[in-house]
Amino acid sequence: MASDCAGGQLSSDSHEVSQLNELKIDLDAICVMAHYQGNSDIIMDEQMPIFGGYAGGIEETAIVDIATHINAFVMSNASWHLDGPVHIRWGSTNTRETLQIAGWTCATISEFTDMLSGNQYYPCAGPCTEMCLLELSAQSMTDTASGREIQSGVAAAKGVVQDKTTGMEARMMGEVARATAGMDISEVNDILHKLIPLYEKDYASAPEGKRFQECYDIATVTPTDEYVDIYAGARKKLEELGLVF
Amino acid sequence: MTYSRSMNCFEFYDRAKKGEKLSQDDWDLMTIPMKTMELKQKYGLDFKDEFVPTDKDMMENLFKAGFEMLLDCGIYCTDTSRIVKYTEDEIWDALNNVQKEFTLGTGRDAVNVRKRNVGDKRRPITQGGPTGSPISEDMFMPVHMSYALEKEVDTIVNGVMMTVRGKPPIPKTPYEVLAAKTETRLIKQAAAMAGRPGMGI
Repeated sequence: MASDCAGGQLSSDSHEVSQLNELKIDLDAICVMAHYQGNSDIIMDEQMPIFGGYAGGIEETAIVDIATHINAFVMSNASWHLDGPVHIRWGSTNTRETLQIAGWTCATISEFTDMLSGNQYYPCAGPCTEMCLLELSAQSMTDTASGREIQSGVAAAKGVVQDKTTGMEARMMGEVARATAGMDISEVNDILHKLIPLYEKDYASAPEGKRFQECYDIATVTPTDEYVDIYAGARKKLEELGLVF
Repeated sequence: MTYSRSMNCFEFYDRAKKGEKLSQDDWDLMTIPMKTMELKQKYGLDFKDEFVPTDKDMMENLFKAGFEMLLDCGIYCTDTSRIVKYTEDEIWDALNNVQKEFTLGTGRDAVNVRKRNVGDKRRPITQGGPTGSPISEDMFMPVHMSYALEKEVDTIVNGVMMTVRGKPPIPKTPYEVLAAKTETRLIKQAAAMAGRPGMGI
């Protein structure tokens, strides 16, 4: 609420309120909703169901994810719901299991409702690494093909290390989405079956990557040549798997 | 059951004061896992090895299971230790009246968010940013500018400033309020410096 101020958020910006895991809420959030509704703000209801948590396995977590989506529009009167199925062990949204939950949930709500949905990106690897770019690409393909309206990220290095996010990860997210839009679903699934094995064996030893100030020129806000080369390499690898940019 | 009026946060609050009492442990460790297990079996859910589904019958079963999960369980309020239940008609009322599109941002930098479908030829909106990642105070502006400078990025999602005027923004202190305002103002400035002052955040 404090960010609704002179020089701050406008009604046409997304105003966040978060549900709690799983199918829970606190009264502070309910008060925040009253403020947003009174201002006619765009409301973004957020929640990240946990695979391996209270709900259980893949299908069980997807059931909770559907219920959470619906609740965003019943309880929060949301404009859109920001999803983000996350793996309990790896803290990542890009694992095989969490991509299945996200893909099935989004395709289902796209097919049977008019709810608008986004997804959050939390890869294991840090910026300026090929692994980070491949992880987020798998999610962007899943989100784009399953009918997601908004892709939101990227919180590289699981979103827990200071200054380890840059615009380059978002560029890849956008480019992959553009390349995936309109692709045959079976072709998307085929590429994902080849792409995920390229990184899933490395979760425990994911490269930490570089901080923003180590892979960008701060004065000109330009990525280093090293990062541009890594980006080009990851893009080439995706092309070899069948993605056409 | 016909509802007396549409569900909203005020009605939710009233129900959160008088709904059925339950401990949070019972909700987390009994209600949620038992119901998901029951619904998975009832609807025969099995995603096999597909990431993006092609089996529409299975998707319909998943929708029914998710709907039933919310209808039967409701939502647990952690502050009152009570369960808020909705009727089936109240849920359909919300689903039948969702906002089908909206605009983020202003002027030529505004983007329209519209419903997409499975296999849609239009790409989704790209909301670029640290997504809640911790960002140092001195890097906050250039980090967010790096997103606004990317044409693939349509709107910005913020990072969390780790200090404001050198102090940590501890919850329920004045610095928390200052940090919230400063984050938003700096992101707006970062977008403006990138030549996109109307970008949604």
